[in-house]
Amino acid sequence: MNRSVAWRLALGVTTAIFGSSSGHAVTYMTAAEARAALVPDAQSFVDRSATLSADQRTAIRRASGTSARGPKVSVWEARGSGGRLLGWVYVDQVLGKHEYITYAVAFDARGAVTGIEILDYRETYGDEIRNPRWRAQFRGKALGAELKLDRDIRNISGATLSCRHVTDGVKRLLATHATLFGRA
Amino acid sequence: MIRRCRPLLGTFVEIAAPPGCAATVEAGFAAVAQVHRLMSFHGEDSDLARLRRAPAGTPVVLAPETMAVLRLALALHRESAGLFDVAIGARLVRTGFLPLPAGVELAACTGTSADLELRDDRRAVCHRPMLLDLGGIAKGFAVDRALAAMRAAGADGGLVNAGGDMRAFGEHAFPVDIRGARGHVERRWSLRDQALASSDNAASRRRRWGRTVTPHIGFGRPLKNRRVVAVVAPDCATADALTKIAMADPPLAARMLRERGGFVLGPAASEAHAA
Repeated sequence: MNRSVAWRLALGVTTAIFGSSSGHAVTYMTAAEARAALVPDAQSFVDRSATLSADQRTAIRRASGTSARGPKVSVWEARGSGGRLLGWVYVDQVLGKHEYITYAVAFDARGAVTGIEILDYRETYGDEIRNPRWRAQFRGKALGAELKLDRDIRNISGATLSCRHVTDGVKRLLATHATLFGRA
Repeated sequence: MIRRCRPLLGTFVEIAAPPGCAATVEAGFAAVAQVHRLMSFHGEDSDLARLRRAPAGTPVVLAPETMAVLRLALALHRESAGLFDVAIGARLVRTGFLPLPAGVELAACTGTSADLELRDDRRAVCHRPMLLDLGGIAKGFAVDRALAAMRAAGADGGLVNAGGDMRAFGEHAFPVDIRGARGHVERRWSLRDQALASSDNAASRRRRWGRTVTPHIGFGRPLKNRRVVAVVAPDCATADALTKIAMADPPLAARMLRERGGFVLGPAASEAHAA
């Protein structure tokens, strides 16, 4: 299992937000919640996470035009009743404005995208980006704390963020899927 | 609250609903996805693509959602004396904000909203070639549709936020940070049973012929300062569209909003007129 995903799971992440600063972080779902939501008929998920070889990474970059953060791929096979293959769920990260966005993509058994969920999203601005103490907040120390009430979660307006990197990430995962499982 | 977020409309769409309302969140996203499909400038099977492929003067049957957006857009075009114009697509392609769609002869796209006729409740006619772009209104409209879908599915409250254009319904008050171009919080607002949209053009300016241009302002108008423009209105399509008018002509936007039960959000602690 991908280390960062394990990290997230271990946190049993709820929601953390740092209302007093202008930074913003929301955890929408854990990887396990995303798998269940994306393939609701699944009875079980089999961890098929893999490490790509240099050649595979080159092939994926050529096919999709984007590079992955690292060689590790977090992917689960969704199995329905009687062990029937329903599809796959990938969990991946792409760069948002300054910080990484974690998202999950589901493919059906034929390799077509059936859903995308953002798992967590954070952003930092200005001085915060260079402030290690401020950034340390995101490393999970606060995340073990109890669920904050929704009234504390600040909603952001202004400076619309493009989802282009997620769209590119999905393209890369399509190519990754073809490399790992031979279909796209 | 349950919170979910998906990449749609070129940005991140977030929906919040009370616990136990997960099905209504799905209904909300489905409505946003439908608007995305119908009104994408980029998609080749969207209503916009069908409109631009049809020869000038030919009626095109459109989805009820697209008709509703165009109806509002034309009303705003008339009331703003042409300032708000969804036929801005050609200008946005020329200035590099949008790609040129396949098969389009840009020089021929001279039509404005005044050349767009809604013939009945299902057909639209472009009397001159034009490139429609609903980027200034569709996000807000999608938020309104999502909210209606959530209500129809039984939700009694929630929030839909499409890249900063948002609307809340129900008793809950949602705190909102309004960010300026540098990312600092310019304003805070408590959103309850109303819509809020904001716009700033600091990140969407291009140099053209030695001048700086930005969508929805065009030539011959001063570019606004770095301040973000935020609008509160009863519905989000109005809020979204009026941010563009507010950026170019604040007094006009204020007048138009007054008639619609909304207002431009000024600097902190100056909303004496806030209803």
